[in-house]
Amino acid sequence: MLKQVVLGGLAVAVVGAIGFGIYAYKPAYEPIAADQNAEFDPLVVERGRILAAAGYCATCHTAADGEPYAGNYAMETGFGTIYSTNLTPDVETGIGAYSKEAFRRAMHEGVDREGRHLFPAFPYDHFTKMTDDDVDAIYAYIMTDVAPVKATPTENELPFPLNQRFLQAGWKLLFADFGRYTPDADQSDEWNRGAYLAEGITHCGACHTPRNALGAEIASAQFEGAEIDRWIAPALTADNPSSVPWNTSEFKSYLKDGVATYHGIAAGPMGPVVHAGVRELPEADLDALSVYLADKVGAGDADPAQSDAVLASLDSNRPDPKYRRDLGARLYATACASCHYNTQQIAQGRPDLGINSSTNLDTPNNLIHVILDGVNGPEGMAGVVMPGFRTALTDTEVAAIAAYLRDARAGQPAWPELEATVADIRVNGPQAH
Amino acid sequence: MGNKLISRMTNAAKPKDMTRRGFLVSMTAAGVAFGFPRASYAAMDPAAVDGVPIQATGDTFEPSMWYWIDANGQVNVNIIRAEMGQHVGTAIARILADELEVAWEDVHITHVDTDEKWGLMVTGGSWSIWQSWPVYRQAGAAGRTALIEAAAKMWDVAHDTCEARNGTVTDGTNTATYAELVAAGIGRSFTADELAALPLKPHSELRLVGKDVTALDIENKTNGKAIYGLDAKVDGMVYGVPMLPPTRLGSSVVSIDDSGAKDVKGYLQTLALDDPSGTVPGWVVVLGETLMAAKWASEAIAVEWSAGDTANVSEEDINARSRALIADPETGGILPTETPDTTAAFEGAADTLEAEYTTQTVLHFQLEPVNATAFQNEDGIWEIHTGNQWQSLILPTLSTALDAPADKIIMRSYMLGGGFGRRLNGDYTVPAALTSKALGGKPVKLVFFREDDAQFDSPRSPSVQKLRMAFDTDNQVVGMEHHAAAAWPTGVLVPSFMPKGVNGAPYDPFAIDGADHWYSVGAHQVRAISNELANKTFRPGWLRSVGPGWTNFAVESFMDEAAHKVGADPLAFRLEHLKAEGYNAGSAPNAVGGASRQAAVLQRVAEMSGYGSTDLPEDTAIGIATTFGQSRSMPTWTAGAVKLRVDRENGEIEVQKMWLAFDCGTVVDPDGALAQCEGAALWGLSMALYEGTKIENGNVADLNLGSYTPLRMIDTPEMEIDFVESTEVPVGLGEPGTTVVAPAIANAIYNAVGVRMRSLPIRPDDVLAALKA
Amino acid sequence: MIDFEINGRPVSVDADPDTPLLWAIRDEIGLTGTKFGCGIGMCGACTVHVGGRATRSCITTLSDVEGTNVTTIEGLDAEAKHPVQDAWRNLRVPQCGYCQSGQIMQAAALLQDIPNPSDEDIDAVMTGNLCRCMTYPRIRQAVRDAATAMTGDTNNG
Ligand code: FES
Ligand code: FES
Repeated sequence: MLKQVVLGGLAVAVVGAIGFGIYAYKPAYEPIAADQNAEFDPLVVERGRILAAAGYCATCHTAADGEPYAGNYAMETGFGTIYSTNLTPDVETGIGAYSKEAFRRAMHEGVDREGRHLFPAFPYDHFTKMTDDDVDAIYAYIMTDVAPVKATPTENELPFPLNQRFLQAGWKLLFADFGRYTPDADQSDEWNRGAYLAEGITHCGACHTPRNALGAEIASAQFEGAEIDRWIAPALTADNPSSVPWNTSEFKSYLKDGVATYHGIAAGPMGPVVHAGVRELPEADLDALSVYLADKVGAGDADPAQSDAVLASLDSNRPDPKYRRDLGARLYATACASCHYNTQQIAQGRPDLGINSSTNLDTPNNLIHVILDGVNGPEGMAGVVMPGFRTALTDTEVAAIAAYLRDARAGQPAWPELEATVADIRVNGPQAH
Repeated sequence: MGNKLISRMTNAAKPKDMTRRGFLVSMTAAGVAFGFPRASYAAMDPAAVDGVPIQATGDTFEPSMWYWIDANGQVNVNIIRAEMGQHVGTAIARILADELEVAWEDVHITHVDTDEKWGLMVTGGSWSIWQSWPVYRQAGAAGRTALIEAAAKMWDVAHDTCEARNGTVTDGTNTATYAELVAAGIGRSFTADELAALPLKPHSELRLVGKDVTALDIENKTNGKAIYGLDAKVDGMVYGVPMLPPTRLGSSVVSIDDSGAKDVKGYLQTLALDDPSGTVPGWVVVLGETLMAAKWASEAIAVEWSAGDTANVSEEDINARSRALIADPETGGILPTETPDTTAAFEGAADTLEAEYTTQTVLHFQLEPVNATAFQNEDGIWEIHTGNQWQSLILPTLSTALDAPADKIIMRSYMLGGGFGRRLNGDYTVPAALTSKALGGKPVKLVFFREDDAQFDSPRSPSVQKLRMAFDTDNQVVGMEHHAAAAWPTGVLVPSFMPKGVNGAPYDPFAIDGADHWYSVGAHQVRAISNELANKTFRPGWLRSVGPGWTNFAVESFMDEAAHKVGADPLAFRLEHLKAEGYNAGSAPNAVGGASRQAAVLQRVAEMSGYGSTDLPEDTAIGIATTFGQSRSMPTWTAGAVKLRVDRENGEIEVQKMWLAFDCGTVVDPDGALAQCEGAALWGLSMALYEGTKIENGNVADLNLGSYTPLRMIDTPEMEIDFVESTEVPVGLGEPGTTVVAPAIANAIYNAVGVRMRSLPIRPDDVLAALKA
Repeated sequence: MIDFEINGRPVSVDADPDTPLLWAIRDEIGLTGTKFGCGIGMCGACTVHVGGRATRSCITTLSDVEGTNVTTIEGLDAEAKHPVQDAWRNLRVPQCGYCQSGQIMQAAALLQDIPNPSDEDIDAVMTGNLCRCMTYPRIRQAVRDAATAMTGDTNNG
């Protein structure tokens, strides 16, 4: 998920060396024996399972084709590749030797049992907001339900001095804001619950908040949108470019089912966030998250179905007998319209591309990703597939379709250098072979 | 009494294990009745599950090789034609069943293999019904006669007191079903003379012909069970995909480097084909355990070819050559029109009109790409499983390619996922056969991906035509010339089919039909010229409506131009020249009435369309055209009108409605006839406005739907189609509808905005340019 | 092994995960009703349903359908009597028939989403399905007929 988080090691240059040394030092916790943990209450374990899912821990701690939580998931950082740790309760190679306290410190402070600083690819800057109770529940779940796997992750491939873990402390000093979530008294309980989840376990800002040159989220720009893996994590603020404003029910169905009728589907890096994660949360938590996020984007209560944008989009989506005049329009009519066509209203699962987030963002990346590589069964709307056109369409053709959608359907200013972007994503995107 | 054909079929149809090496498919729940076909049948009976033809019960009565009746009264009709959407088996079986007097429920059809006894096997030229009509009627009459005789004998009554109806004979007192009569044994046979003398039912007594029955192939075409060539399955088969050389002819392989493909799982090997028949020179076939293994391997294999000398040929080169040939009066064959010498007419003319028309290369793009499965069976017979339209044409070539006598090769008929003339040329079977031969007879399924199918197509040749007309001082037409240059499919593939012109030079009738029209124009010279540069650049093909698809664009545009020149209305001008005199008076059996029947359909379509009405919106007009379908020897009188609007801003043509009228003699299958005409007319529209590619660097430029853009549903206008009631000989309907649309469109454009489009397809940019000129 | 359901039955296919679903259905599973026309998603001959939605199987990979439910023409209706199939037979839509599995699957999906389609709706959705025999006038009418039959059924039932 956080493949492109820049490492914080460079921070050392700006920190006084002596004070830093004291700050950076963290003691080791004693290892515990395998049988030292008492039995956990099954209700706590279950709560931990849900929280672990909502934090999609497994996504980053499971390698492709690897055992769940056994780590070794490779993350490109731009400086080198780092590999996620083994989270299974294996004593030697996993976290089997972690006491509850050691686990809490890791989650809240980003320090491992032996006192080493963890890289901020691990979003402890969010988990620090979580209550001890919730962190303990995750601990209980891992210790109880995750099968121990003996697996030593690959050595990180980082150049010196970035591989010096103690330097991460400098990054923390500069950027991390440790401490539990404090409720906003002006907001409802539901809002506060949503904020607690969003800023803590589900760490939405990790992707949706822009980062500074050293890879730290810019607090003043919370949720203003960012690029990740050549996808765009759109702004979750008033700057959100959707032509139909997000509202609570759109967020809810997006987080629960991976599809929001008036915005689109959870694809790319957002796919696992929903499908391997957030949707596991209880109904009330999904409501709370939706309330909080809707407030952040400043949504009103208007029925999207009656919005001008939707009606205009439906109108522009009518079949045009002169579709042959424009390459993009023609290809769209022959290759896309059979699914992406709506008549009186927009049906769920027939994304309307005039109002879709991907056609309304400032950059075409998300749209191009989906045209090239589609959306597979587990992503987006579960069990439904959009095929990818990687082998079917040339760069020129993909660019023509994107340009057509942008102009004739979304009514937005043209994206510059479209064809070059297609070529770049084709070659460098996640599915490039 | 078994039937040789049936027993061979069942031998080949061994149950097949679903699991193949390396590709385990496990159904985690075992199940019966799930519909996985398990055997390698050819789709012989399109109404049967897996295409397995009906087996006879008890002894059969087989009055001719065209059918048998068994002891259950079931009738199996043998069909030598290919099923490619015409429901041809149904139409032919119906002719027989009507004359035989059997119930339609008892009729089955079998598309036969290529046993020699069936004679010429070809499905094209809209000939099937026309040719089958007399044969199957006689055969039916023979059966009916024999069954009546048998019953009369059984009851000891005079046979003329007996009557047959619905599979039962009666003399008013006794009745016997065909089943009973056949079970009792019938040995009657007929000599050719006896057959010819048999009385046929009068038209008024026809009970199936001309009535609606549901085609026998429809059911399986709606449930996924119809079996096409691409569905062929043979035990142990491997898959092949071709790598096409840079030119259709004259290329040879210099080297093959398949090192890049070695780690493609399932890749087997790559073969450079050695082809004694010269059909596929320079071909490379990549083999895999699965289709995609072969395909992916082919993408990783580097082949170096030495290209043939057409590697740089373009459409412009071909057209330039056509123009040079037309300019040389010594080239080409001159058709035996009534007065082919036009010298005097033109020398004495008070005025002349001249125009050049061109048409671009067109792809067949039948929806099922060509494919073939080939192997040598246990009996040493080479089996070619494929859909094909002209088995008799390709068998000798296969014989040369395989170096095996013709009677050691058999082709099995599958449904065709579209023919349109592409599968008249069976060249695609040759590389499959050669690959299997190279593997010692192992089964190979050669699959063309779309791009390969398009590149290897036998496209409709680009054409250049020059037309001239001579007028006297009263503006009366006294002479006409039509010079047409294009590639000659018949010249290349079956030169023996070419008649000689009046100048002694042979010509391809299928590349000029239509130009020898039924208008009385005084002296009339029609000259067909073969463009040899085109002939060697690609394999020219017969494509739905063949020559008439483009010659009539010229003739019928030119008739309008001539009418406007002399200030006449195009409808009146045409009618005035469809005089049905002399050579245009027509003759029995096929062209009774001649040009008068053409005039009648033209008038009919003018009425249907309201041609000539003056209250049409701006830039909107109706254009008309009339043709005689495919050829003078079997004219299908055809007329069309198209209403369209031209958008002056961008040159877009909005076709609003099309009207067509046909006189095809007796209509055997009304619904099928309508379907054929609908499809044909829309093909005409597609080729007029939307379809066309170009030869570039020796190959067609457009290989798939990204750039090749045939008509789709949204482009489909409203249509009204009418048939003249007739008891004349039934002629073809598969193609004639195609021929009138393009000229009617060009004429309508002229009527709407006053510009003359002389090149097909007519693209918006061309219209715009003409408007601006 | 890629696991999914086809026509209501679980199936495991051991083939390269990049294999187009089309060829897996045809060559590995052995259901040949689904056809190949263009291989680039522009003719519709290969249309199947994945999760109930019309999907071009020629550009859908096996790995894409892991865990999904796939329906082919053979499984649209156990008796092949889906109202769309009935309408197709009544009007004798098919000519060569090669495109018709895809047309029928597309039309069935269309009517699920848009039970009373206008002609415009039919054009918009069905234009992606090429019929080289040009049976379009009949397809249009058959979709209308099927819509009437289906909405009628719902009203009565
Ligand atoms: S074969 Fe899949 S859309 Fe043409
Ligand atoms: S019926 Fe032949 S392609 Fe549609």
